[in-house]
Amino acid sequence: MTTVINVLQALILVLGAPLVSGIVSKIKAWIQRRQGASIWRPYIEIAKLFRKEDLVPPSASWVFRFAPKVLFGTTICAVAFVPVVHPSALLASRGDFFFLVYVLALGRFFLSLGALDGGSAFGGMGASREALVSTLAEAPFLLGLVAISILAAHADIAGMVMWTLQRNVFDISAVHILAFTSLAMVVLAETGRMPVDNPTTHLELTMIHEGMVLEYSGPSLALVEWASAVKLHALLALLISLFGPWGMASTVSVWGTGAALLLYLAKVTVLMILLALVESVVAKLRMYLVPDFLGVAAAVSALAVIFTTLVKG
Amino acid sequence: MQVVSIQVAFGFLLASLGLLAPLVLIASRTKRARAFAITLIVGSNVVGWFVAALCFWGESKLALTFSGFTPFPFALGLDRLSAFFLLLICTVAVPVAIFAVSYFDKHYGEQRRNWIWAFFSLFLLSMITVVTASTGFAFLVGWELMTLLSAGLILMEGDSAERRHNVFIYLLMMHAGAAAVVASFFLFLPYSHSLDFAGIRAASPVVPAGIRVLIFLLAFVGFGTKAGIIPLHLWLPRAHPIAPSPASALMSGVMLKTAVYGFVRFAFDFLGGGPSWFGYVVLVAGAVSGLLGVLYAIAEHDLKRLLAYHSVENIGIIYLGLGTSLVFLANHAPVLAALALIAALLHTLNHALFKSLLFLGAGAISNATHTVDLEELGGLQRRMPVTGTAFLIACCSIVGLPLFNGFISEWLTFRSFLAGSVLLNTKAQIVLPLMVGVLALIGGLAAACFVKVFGVAFLGRPRSSEAEHAVEAPLLMRGGMTMLAAACLLIGILPGVLLRPLASLTQVLIPGAGVPDETVSIARIIPWIAAIILGVTAITALTTRVQRMAPTWGCGLSQLTSRMQYTSTAFSKPIRFVFSSVYKPDRKLDKLPTDKPYFPVSISYRSVRTTSYEKALYRPFVDLIVSAAHQLRRLQTGNIQVYLLYIFLTLVALLTFLRFQR
Repeated sequence: MTTVINVLQALILVLGAPLVSGIVSKIKAWIQRRQGASIWRPYIEIAKLFRKEDLVPPSASWVFRFAPKVLFGTTICAVAFVPVVHPSALLASRGDFFFLVYVLALGRFFLSLGALDGGSAFGGMGASREALVSTLAEAPFLLGLVAISILAAHADIAGMVMWTLQRNVFDISAVHILAFTSLAMVVLAETGRMPVDNPTTHLELTMIHEGMVLEYSGPSLALVEWASAVKLHALLALLISLFGPWGMASTVSVWGTGAALLLYLAKVTVLMILLALVESVVAKLRMYLVPDFLGVAAAVSALAVIFTTLVKG
Repeated sequence: MQVVSIQVAFGFLLASLGLLAPLVLIASRTKRARAFAITLIVGSNVVGWFVAALCFWGESKLALTFSGFTPFPFALGLDRLSAFFLLLICTVAVPVAIFAVSYFDKHYGEQRRNWIWAFFSLFLLSMITVVTASTGFAFLVGWELMTLLSAGLILMEGDSAERRHNVFIYLLMMHAGAAAVVASFFLFLPYSHSLDFAGIRAASPVVPAGIRVLIFLLAFVGFGTKAGIIPLHLWLPRAHPIAPSPASALMSGVMLKTAVYGFVRFAFDFLGGGPSWFGYVVLVAGAVSGLLGVLYAIAEHDLKRLLAYHSVENIGIIYLGLGTSLVFLANHAPVLAALALIAALLHTLNHALFKSLLFLGAGAISNATHTVDLEELGGLQRRMPVTGTAFLIACCSIVGLPLFNGFISEWLTFRSFLAGSVLLNTKAQIVLPLMVGVLALIGGLAAACFVKVFGVAFLGRPRSSEAEHAVEAPLLMRGGMTMLAAACLLIGILPGVLLRPLASLTQVLIPGAGVPDETVSIARIIPWIAAIILGVTAITALTTRVQRMAPTWGCGLSQLTSRMQYTSTAFSKPIRFVFSSVYKPDRKLDKLPTDKPYFPVSISYRSVRTTSYEKALYRPFVDLIVSAAHQLRRLQTGNIQVYLLYIFLTLVALLTFLRFQR
């Protein structure tokens, strides 16, 4: 029964991901007083891309062709670590958060290589910038998770979520606030959102992720787009399950799971509104201000780790 | 029966590497003799691998003593720790030797080829002597031979003034390090009365605390010089890139590991740990070497120098594990100490595999294109598919990505940092978990660096006509690289094979250590992750349709040229900019003629990385030695009477010494 729920959770994360991107765009449109596209638009686009032709530059090797597939595979694997409605996931009790972070890194490594294989300047530019952002984002990402796992005395994500679930909402410590701050900043950087990267731009001065995928078309592009949507959804779900898991069904029952699902939808909506607000209000940072942004995240997460010694004792 | 056959096999390994193969190579110049000698080298290493495997996975032990033939006790033996390192040497030596067959054939004439093979064989023997020695004398003989023979291999490639200068620095630093190692051995002598390892181990508890500290620091500096921890790494980026590629592979992949072996022998086996500041010293050295090593590597575009700096980085990661283990040992947490030590030892083996593979890849590239400058390469993946794929596996491994071997050891290191939070000591509770951030930054920078290396060298369009006309490496080169790549993948997906015997190995070194849970759990989860990633990737690969060729979009230009691609220097620019305080670049822009700066005829731009701290650290030391040498020169007057006076004074001094000693 738990396995069924775990598979359903993974399906929610993967299949619901385009909807999350659609809703964020819609909210952004509303904030900017535009009508905006339909929230189902990302599904239609992915379906359209899957039907289109796949173009490959003549200089490219198998790395270019495989990069989107490896990216998709690793993103699906990362999903298997994230709980949604139940404090468990397919792999969340077997493996710890290091796997989650490094499985995502594997996909990014291949996507960067694919970008360089195109042989254009844009791919190299995107890969080079992505290398900087992801290099600096890795330390705060891990340290924020380390802080929570020290408090929970569990390294596996299921154990961490279970521990938080057993606490009272008002028991939140400084560690949680600091870790949430740094992880939220990291999520913005990791998923290529404002103020680090602009997901809607195709201007060479500013693009990072879009620069990397410029040479992809058809099904390959569909996989890349879908994978980035899944990554955004999974990281939002990770934030929810680590910092606001209350309402998750700790026992397996249809009603409990249904209620947890509704609560999850509410929580993820709040996060989507916040994300849309941040993206509408904040200007994109200059490239060389991004290290400062991530430096703040790293400092905050290091403080979170240091404060664990006070909170625990 | 088994003991005897192991002894015979091990004796065969020593005899064929030390005597048979070099003698055949030097005595006979025929092709058949050389083929016989090479077969002997490869075959004896395979035999050595099985000997090591029996002692590592099984319970066998081995002892051979030669004391009858030598003035000092000389004995070799295999316990689990030695067997692990012998396994490492033989695992790397076989593919490297196979690769070297084609490489040496292409690069050296008849005359030189035999000599280089003889050196190769003896170099392997010296390293085997170091890791299997069971007396201090045998260890030091191997240690010294290893330095001299590797210097010989470097000089085989040529003897320009620059090369000789680099070899001079190499030898100088190695001997300074060796002096520290000798001193740390001799400090045991008053208590153990022999340099037998068993005697040292037995005497270690009675060594006073002050002497223990001295032994530890001397061993740390002595082995640290060989391992190349910053700031003792100065020789490494000079010596490794100029050796022939198979020799670089052995030097980076194996020779550095003998230093790790020596340090583990001293710190864990002989001394059995110490106060927790021992651990913090090693931890800080590891963190500094790791970070600076990778930052220097990113700025390089000479592939072999870049790889040499990555050796510094990986030694840093190994030392992070060793330091953590010492901290746990001092805090009486044997199981966690075992976990960190397993992480360090496994990373030692992993680094040996992927770093030798990377150096062999660099050799294959230079064989095909006659350059290892990244700015001249590009598009090699389509021209050299096997080399490229093996190189990619090595890149993923060194970066520490899941499904590849580097991840396993880095994950174990991460988990041992995280476990620091359960200690009762507040300093360790804060420092160790924060080290997660340091290792994450090192890993991130390494990822950036290897995206650059593989992307610029193997992907995109060729940047020179040599790269454009490159052809795939010959069969034996491909064979050697494929073997190493397969080993990287095997350990990456089935780590349990090595983790179980490593856990028993650490139980010998750390009394009271059980099997850490982490070693079991990772062996369980990795196959799941592999199944999901490979499964989904395969499904998407099977369902996508035929792809059509279409030129890269050129912003409206009809023809993109290879000069429009990102170069290695351009790729690393953002990171160099952010970490510019580390590099302190010294830029020089010259415009000619100087009186018309807006209408220049020629512009030259130069950017050199200053190594200010190296100057600040080494300059006073070098100045001191040089001035002391100048002072000593006064003794040498050239006057025979003065020399007779010296002899007389020495005699008097010795007689007085003997008088008072009685």
